[in-house]
Amino acid sequence: MFDYLANPTRFLRIADAVLIPSAILASGVLLAGLYFGLLGSPADYQQGDTVRIMYVHVPAAWLAVIGYVAMGVCGIFYIVWRHPLADIALRAIAPVGATFAMLTLVTGSLWGKPMWGAWWVWDARLTSMLILFFFYIAVIALANGFDRVERGSRPAALLALVGMLNVPIVKFSVDWWNTLHQPASLIRSGGVAIDPSMLTPLMLMLAGFHLYFIVIVIIRMKALLIERRITNLQLRQTSAGQTSAGHKSGGPKLGGPKLGGTS
Amino acid sequence: MTGFTHQIKRDLAIAWASRMDIGVMLLFFVIIVTMFPLAIGPHPEILRPLAVPLLWIAAFLSILAGFDRLFAADLRDGWLDQVALSKLPLFAYVIAKAVAHWVVTGLPVLVMVPVIGVLLQIEVPQLPAICLALAIGTAALTLLGVIGASLAVGARHGGGLMALLVLPLAVPVLIFGVLASQPEAGMILSPHLKLLGAMMAVLLAIAPVVAAAALGEADDDGGA
Repeated sequence: MFDYLANPTRFLRIADAVLIPSAILASGVLLAGLYFGLLGSPADYQQGDTVRIMYVHVPAAWLAVIGYVAMGVCGIFYIVWRHPLADIALRAIAPVGATFAMLTLVTGSLWGKPMWGAWWVWDARLTSMLILFFFYIAVIALANGFDRVERGSRPAALLALVGMLNVPIVKFSVDWWNTLHQPASLIRSGGVAIDPSMLTPLMLMLAGFHLYFIVIVIIRMKALLIERRITNLQLRQTSAGQTSAGHKSGGPKLGGPKLGGTS
Repeated sequence: MTGFTHQIKRDLAIAWASRMDIGVMLLFFVIIVTMFPLAIGPHPEILRPLAVPLLWIAAFLSILAGFDRLFAADLRDGWLDQVALSKLPLFAYVIAKAVAHWVVTGLPVLVMVPVIGVLLQIEVPQLPAICLALAIGTAALTLLGVIGASLAVGARHGGGLMALLVLPLAVPVLIFGVLASQPEAGMILSPHLKLLGAMMAVLLAIAPVVAAAALGEADDDGGA
């Protein structure tokens, strides 16, 4: 199946076929989720309307983690099979996941101010999400840190892989650190049964965020593929220009004699 | 095995030839520690609970500072090519580099701990636990630094990128290291120390493989 998808042209065809339906589905589900979240569900008896932040906060946090795992899986595919699309997917996912992590932190902060009385507390969950965000930034920086873009692919894939191993350890250590240092100050009352009226928008938003994630990653992958293609064409054009200048012929021509790769 | 020991000897010889660098790193370590009381204020009752964490952060920063040139020099002067051609596997080369680097950076930091302890008013009975935890912690950090240095070799902003890669990875080491440095009375082998050791063991398994994979790529690329 992965060999089948490895061909970028074939991937683009399938992606185009998937893109429009999932975009429509995503907007529909998100709109429904927003309706139920903002209007169709009751305010919490303790938290009031601020509880509605949950409908953005929880799905964003979920996708920040899923994006990270997806990035790690792409890393495995790239390292083991040198799958060019895995690299593209990794680069496509990283900024999206980073944005979701940021969104989680921002909405959490907005929720925390009225509920906990502080924009930021060194709670275990907040801290591990912050570190997850740092990881995303590190992967992005590494993937784009080299003069030749493709040179960053393998380091970024390796880092995504190491990060995937490390994130559970970070989570565990931060939990340990927090429970030792500020016991039970902010840990939310666990196991709150969510009322169906609130569960409906939450589930809708979760599904909507997932679809949105798929749509945005496909768009980004298409853009990255096209970008890479343009770079290759430009390189070929430049080398053609150099060679033909040496022969005192006209300017660079596309589709002239095959000169790709020589320079 | 001879290639392995040769590699360590070579790195140690190079470090000895420029032993001023070790002195500079140690001075950096002491100066960072000095900065904290100057910023926080000289009151012992404030400084004492902060002493161990400050020590750890200073040790982390001074060890990290030496990492950006770890593989870059070998790549530039062609040594890495020679290693790739030799019988020494790349991961063994990486372990040898890590061992030599720890001897050059981690060990001097450990030796300095009593002096820092005086500056930060750490009680003498606390020192063995701190040194033990710091020995394991610096070894783990060295392995993480090896990962970071191998990934970032050849990148545009080597040094800054290194810190960006390694510091988030080092969070668990820092947390358990600081906890293990302050064990319950009469309990040197605290659970935190064991977890720290476990983390170092895992890193010892992962780091050479990851670094070897990254260095293979860097070597193919001709150091660009």
